Amino acid sequence: MSRGSPVRLAVALSVAAALALFLLYTSIAGGATPTLTPSKLGQAHGRVTLSGIVTAPVAGSAESDDGLRFALRDPNGGARVRVVYHGAVPDLFGVGKRIYLDGRLRDGTFVAVPGSLVTKCPSKYVAKKGA
Amino acid sequence: MGLAFLGRGALVLTLALAVFALVAGSAAAKQGRTRLTASARNALVAAFASTAVASATLVAAFLGHDFSLAYVASHSSRELPLAYTIGAFWSGQSGSLLLWLLLLTGASSAAVLANRRLVAEVLPWTVPVLAGASAFFAFVCVVVSSPFVTAPAPADGAGMNASLQNPYMLAHPPMLYLGYVGLTIPFAFAMAGLLSGRTDERWLVATRRWTLGAWTALGVAILIGAKWAYETIGWGGYYAWDPVENAALMPWLASTAFLHSVIVQEKKGILRVWNVSLVSLAYCLSLFGTFLTRSGVINSVHSFAQSSIGGWFLGFIAFAAAFAALAIIRRLPLLRAETRLESLASREAAFLYNNLLLVAFCLTILWGVAFPIVSQAVRGTPFTVGPPYYDFFLRVFGLPLLLLMGIGPIVAWRRSSLRSLVRGLRWPAAAALAAGALLAAGGAASSPPALVAYTFCVFVLTGIVAEFARGTRARHGVDGDGWVRAFTTLVGRNRRRYGGYVSHAAVVMLAVGIAGSSAYGVSRTVHLQPGQTTSVGRYSLLYVGPSFKRGANHDELRARLALAEDGKLVGTIAPGKNRYHVEAFFSNAAAIRTDWLRAQDLFVVADQFDRDGSVHLRVIVNPLVPLIWISGLVFLVGSLVATWPDAREQRRIARRVAELEALAPA
Repeated sequence: MSRGSPVRLAVALSVAAALALFLLYTSIAGGATPTLTPSKLGQAHGRVTLSGIVTAPVAGSAESDDGLRFALRDPNGGARVRVVYHGAVPDLFGVGKRIYLDGRLRDGTFVAVPGSLVTKCPSKYVAKKGA
Repeated sequence: MGLAFLGRGALVLTLALAVFALVAGSAAAKQGRTRLTASARNALVAAFASTAVASATLVAAFLGHDFSLAYVASHSSRELPLAYTIGAFWSGQSGSLLLWLLLLTGASSAAVLANRRLVAEVLPWTVPVLAGASAFFAFVCVVVSSPFVTAPAPADGAGMNASLQNPYMLAHPPMLYLGYVGLTIPFAFAMAGLLSGRTDERWLVATRRWTLGAWTALGVAILIGAKWAYETIGWGGYYAWDPVENAALMPWLASTAFLHSVIVQEKKGILRVWNVSLVSLAYCLSLFGTFLTRSGVINSVHSFAQSSIGGWFLGFIAFAAAFAALAIIRRLPLLRAETRLESLASREAAFLYNNLLLVAFCLTILWGVAFPIVSQAVRGTPFTVGPPYYDFFLRVFGLPLLLLMGIGPIVAWRRSSLRSLVRGLRWPAAAALAAGALLAAGGAASSPPALVAYTFCVFVLTGIVAEFARGTRARHGVDGDGWVRAFTTLVGRNRRRYGGYVSHAAVVMLAVGIAGSSAYGVSRTVHLQPGQTTSVGRYSLLYVGPSFKRGANHDELRARLALAEDGKLVGTIAPGKNRYHVEAFFSNAAAIRTDWLRAQDLFVVADQFDRDGSVHLRVIVNPLVPLIWISGLVFLVGSLVATWPDAREQRRIARRVAELEALAPA
């Protein structure tokens, strides 16, 4: 690209436009949600993604009015939080599984957004036991 | 023990040969020693042979159920069907890295052997670059994550993960790695061009097919992965913007930009810095995906090993990026453009806009993927950006890209007058506006982005058809050929151009499929007792009852459903779950009925079976999803047309190289 070429102007303008769009999006639309473990949930305001390990007992049904009820604990600690969930339950859901769900903390219980539960897919590259 | 020794020995030999090719090749290139260059090249080829021996050894270990190899024991079992026993090779970390090494040394050998005459000055530097990349992967396979580690053999293996026991698993990873590995070749030739000071277009000419091949493999792999997810995971979607999926999409976008911008460099001698930067970006992004999947730094629905391997990859990416940046900066004076962009309304400018949009989209995805790491470092809490973030930028960058795909082929090189632009665009624009109005009247305006996408799609398709029609008519008129012969000659003599148009048509189909399924899908969740019926759209489902069948390595629980379309019984479908014996895993078996005429899927998942025989079903009508899979076939056809060897083009390339040889400084 030679000096004074309109290409430079086009490149600069496009990069600037892309950055501006991103800033606009993240500041106005606020598309990012924090991913928290149960121990950090107390600091949260508004909608968050909760990540943790499912602990027993798992009660109820995700299809019933009361929903599926279980507790989540920190992957590396003992902090727990009660969870209520409605909607589709992935096959790999179960005690001891790492899961993610979106929702809000209400009166000490994490009320999940229906259908937001995802389990870690143990597809590949799973760490060796004890690693 | 014998197989472990053989496999480990072969990998150590690969490492030694690759290191030799790196060191001797560098010295030979620097000192201009032809025989040492040949020796380094032969070492690279020999590295492929020894990696092939290691790979064959691992396959033999799987087939012989040699559970003394920890990798074989943890990824297969005696009950596993033969095809998956072979596929288990790449079902874990160590084996997939060995597969990468096998493809890398194979592609490297083929590339240096195929181009030994074409780029005589560049090749001596290509060998050490390719050898360096091979040495890194050989080191990882030998030292960090070896598939030949032994342990006391259990009576049976742990089996393969249930979600991997799928035919797509046999095709998706090799195709993906072929794409990743393929991007090493243009990167190596670009770096070699910079190192040797031969920064003209010869490296582009030498690697054109490699880049196209890698791009095709990556694109097909992404679609196979999407189909796998669609049929297996059971949420009715095909792409979730997961970091692992994005890891493959980013290098594909960068290489798409590169494939377009090399045309500008070949024609006009501009964008040289941009092209070497793009090919370096594509290569680094292909490694970045592997870093993501192995490092455990990103939260994803995919499980990752928290192993030290991520650090090695990060180090190698940093090295490759720094190496490329330094090489480019050092050769900046040689990379100066031969000409300049004359007008912002020209074909080359259209290519530039296309590049900027593709790269901006790619970097936006990169930012989204890296955002949790950045926010963790800055704010102490990882923030994730979900599908809304990516969907937003898909529209922001995707819709203009779609429009450009229709405008680009119509705009002339150098400069286009307003009059010629209007003349070229009038029919596609008229067709698009008419289609948009019809669709809006038909109710498509319920989703404005989808309506805009459809309008642009008609614009592009009309432009493509007009290009084919114009070319065929011209050839028919000049040569007096019949219409069919005129058409085949037209395509045969301009394979890259018309193959590219076919690939554009595939992208249009993909866009129609994505827009339609995202905007106009219908979903319903129901709880049915045997004998009860539910309806979604034109479909009615009568739940007959559950059924159970014991298979070779898994049990099948199914909900038998009688399906009626518009009140007429058309057959039965049976969604359900599989339970794998050895692995003690459940997996979904969605029932998908495709209506090819209407291009829509009925997608039914049995979420839960209750003890009273009732079932919880999710019934989804996915419009236009079949177009996404067809677009994959069309994309493949377009790529094959563009890549297919052409004696006429070979002569053109030879002439072009001879011209460049003559112009190059001694």
